[in-house]
Amino acid sequence: MRGALLAAIACAAVLPAAAQPPSGAELFARPDKGHCLACHQVPAGAGPSNRSDLGPRLEGARMRALGREALRRILFDPTAANPDTVMPPYGRHRILDSAEIDRIVEYLYALP
Amino acid sequence: MRFRDACRLAIAAWAIAALPAPAASPAEVKAEIEARLRSQLPELEPGDYALGPAAFDPELRALADANGDGAKAVVARGAALWRRRFRDGRSLASCFPNGGRRVAVAYPQYHPHLKRVFTLEMAVNQCLKAHKEPLLDNADPATMGAITAYVRSLSDGYRIHVRVPMAAERFFEQGRRMYFARMGQRNFACASCHLQGAGKRYAGAPLAPAIGQAARWPYIRAGEAVTLQAQIRECLERMGAAPFPAGSEELNDLEYFLTYLSNGLKLRANAWRGP
Repeated sequence: MRGALLAAIACAAVLPAAAQPPSGAELFARPDKGHCLACHQVPAGAGPSNRSDLGPRLEGARMRALGREALRRILFDPTAANPDTVMPPYGRHRILDSAEIDRIVEYLYALP
Repeated sequence: MRFRDACRLAIAAWAIAALPAPAASPAEVKAEIEARLRSQLPELEPGDYALGPAAFDPELRALADANGDGAKAVVARGAALWRRRFRDGRSLASCFPNGGRRVAVAYPQYHPHLKRVFTLEMAVNQCLKAHKEPLLDNADPATMGAITAYVRSLSDGYRIHVRVPMAAERFFEQGRRMYFARMGQRNFACASCHLQGAGKRYAGAPLAPAIGQAARWPYIRAGEAVTLQAQIRECLERMGAAPFPAGSEELNDLEYFLTYLSNGLKLRANAWRGP
């Protein structure tokens, strides 16, 4: 009985952390998800510094000027507006689900 | 002219007009890609294309120069396999002109009797087969990788000159299409990075231009030879595509296309690319 209680306490301690979905910043960086850092740079302090420049540098002011809906559309399928773009169609190719796209949009929107 | 003849002529003219425009010749394709890269990368000297990513990063170049001996062990292993006596007393060296010197610059080549593109690895396995020796796995860096490292070192500094006869143009064209086709979950084409993004950085590393990609393989990473097809297979995985097997027709055609693009460049085998 005591063992079962301890196990339940241990589970309760671990489960909330395990169930926590990855943040927008994590999705932005993870190679199996956005892996956006492979192509883009973000302002200092907003993410790991890198030298990638296959895509443009992402600045908060530009992201906010585009607006959340446009960012969502770009992340879902950037080839719809620009067939020549190298950027993956994250939503259309099911690399990210809509909730994950939303979290990345919020991360981009909040960039300095 | 009778009415029937006139009709036949009209039908023939219509059929000719409806034919798809012939694909550009290999020379035209190469010239177009060269012109595009020249305008994108005006500062890059023609000979530097063979340096690949190191052409854009002095640190990488210095590291590769400082580790010039990094390939010694791999090349020695390849040399031993190359000279190993078969049960009939022959060796791989006996299958190739000049013991293999300066042969790598002409591969892949079109085999007119078999009507297919032959890579250097296929020629090695053909030799083994002819002498009733067990064949090697094209994807095995310890055997085939080491052998290509050695044979290509015998062509170091010689200019690549791969021929695409008319009968082989369809294989070149298939390779070209493969290079420009978007593939996998990430929807990348080889050209997305190595033509459109040539000289820029992906995941921090400079992207080598299409011209020169086939001039510097294998490279040595973690003490093993990484062949061109092994590198392409890694790229395909990164693109979220199931890689074609090493030695498949798809990868052979792609290698044929890429190597033709590097014609005229000096072969640089076994550059060091990290511990």
